[in-house]
Amino acid sequence: MTEVAIIGVGMHKFGRFEGKEAFEMGRAAAVDALRDAGVDWKSIQAAFSGSVFGGPGDAIVQELGLTGIPVVNVSNACATGGSALTLGYQAVVGGFYDMVLAFGFEKMPRGFIAAAGPGHIPWAGLTGLLINPVYFAMKIKRHMAEYGTTEDQLVKVSVKSHKNGSLNPNAMYQKVMSYEEIANSAMLCDPLRLFELCAPNEGGTAAVLCSLDVARRYTTTPIIVAASAFKTRLYGTAEVPHLSRSGRIKAPTPVMEAAKLAYEQSGIGPEDLDVCELQDTHSGDEIMHCEEVGLCKPGEGGKLVDDGATEIAGRIPVNPSGGLISCGEALGASGLRQVHEIVLQLRGDAGSRQVEGAKVGLTQVYGAPGVSSVIILRR
Amino acid sequence: MSGRFGLEAKGSEKKQVPVEEGLFTWPSEEPRLIGSRCNVCGEVTFPAQKVCPNCTSDNTEELLLSRRGTLYSFTIQRHRPPSPPYRGMDPFVPYGVGEVELPEGVIVTSALTESDPEALKIGMEMELLVEKFFEDDEGSDVVSYKFKPV
Repeated sequence: MTEVAIIGVGMHKFGRFEGKEAFEMGRAAAVDALRDAGVDWKSIQAAFSGSVFGGPGDAIVQELGLTGIPVVNVSNACATGGSALTLGYQAVVGGFYDMVLAFGFEKMPRGFIAAAGPGHIPWAGLTGLLINPVYFAMKIKRHMAEYGTTEDQLVKVSVKSHKNGSLNPNAMYQKVMSYEEIANSAMLCDPLRLFELCAPNEGGTAAVLCSLDVARRYTTTPIIVAASAFKTRLYGTAEVPHLSRSGRIKAPTPVMEAAKLAYEQSGIGPEDLDVCELQDTHSGDEIMHCEEVGLCKPGEGGKLVDDGATEIAGRIPVNPSGGLISCGEALGASGLRQVHEIVLQLRGDAGSRQVEGAKVGLTQVYGAPGVSSVIILRR
Repeated sequence: MSGRFGLEAKGSEKKQVPVEEGLFTWPSEEPRLIGSRCNVCGEVTFPAQKVCPNCTSDNTEELLLSRRGTLYSFTIQRHRPPSPPYRGMDPFVPYGVGEVELPEGVIVTSALTESDPEALKIGMEMELLVEKFFEDDEGSDVVSYKFKPV
């Protein structure tokens, strides 16, 4: 099978950018990735674009050059960027193209995402049953009851995220936050507090993918895509959102399923990972996703936090970028932001937040209504 | 409300309409949620579905669910959800949302009557009721289901 490498990554900072169109941020990220890879736009044979609120991806080509390439638009909630990369990866593996661009860009409405419009159930929206972050809150509440995960651990995750985010020039919030500030922030949806939740925002990210043979012409440090897996939910899970779930059947979550497939594709196991970027829509999500991708046993995610294992200098650093809690979540660009971070980490280019000697990394996104993408990268 | 119309409304029963047909038996002294059971694998779903999400069979039938169950998990929604779509009372009043496990083997998501987290406990017994959520544009009370601690 053709091996696929990432030879360039690019990013437009995450945050709020009044008066700037989403596609402009997508184009900025694409230009940055092309420059990083040392290739020109004419070398790109296809592009896979992810956005939920930002419009069509081919808006970026006007000022890059009208080369006639196919641009595929992907919209897959929080897993949008991961899905775009998976499609690009598959296109290169399948031999359809030698070099493609995966990019994501976003401009989200302010505040919590409204559960309205196509695909949503009107009566549940009217009665306040289809809302964020209720389902996230109920999942971590149950986790706390079953495994003894504590509010203290939720606060600690957010302290770590903000500490790491303060070292990331692309993060929305680059400010260290004290334990007290987070623990005393407003309770929004028990047990989740304001500073334990990520903010929807704006930004762009991009990656240039090509076959490993082609990659060697451009760089001595290609980052190999060892796996790129995407899954939707099975029956017997509880997703964001759900009106009912089985009381008898418990199936693995889409995150577990995507991770399992990624480990199978790559022959790499969780014990081989040096660094991870996980979906932390809220701090409890990071704890549960540590478990779901197999960094520890079910129920032991809170202990990882207590032990400092997920710190940059810890046994298995999680979200050295500051995660969604510090970077914000620009939906369509978020999955590729994780990829951007891991590529920098594996190249040794992550500056003051560098995980020493990182050789293998994993990214994971999760979103409504039960989608997950897991990508494994290695040097 | 004041004047002629207000006085008239006081004397007559206000019209109550369910937020959606087919969710629960209504009108009823003891309303029940309407789910479905798969005749092949036995899994129960709410709201009722024609195709079983577990085994993909289309051999399903409606099933009235028990009015009592136990609280599986919960949270308190403390801020007004984006409106639209939310049509709750104004000014906003925080409300509980919970998952209630019913004896039929299904866990149902529902609004709760209780909004004090100290008064809720995972595993406690809950009972179904139907009450007003908001008033529609015609002035009728729109009702839907909730669970309350027993």
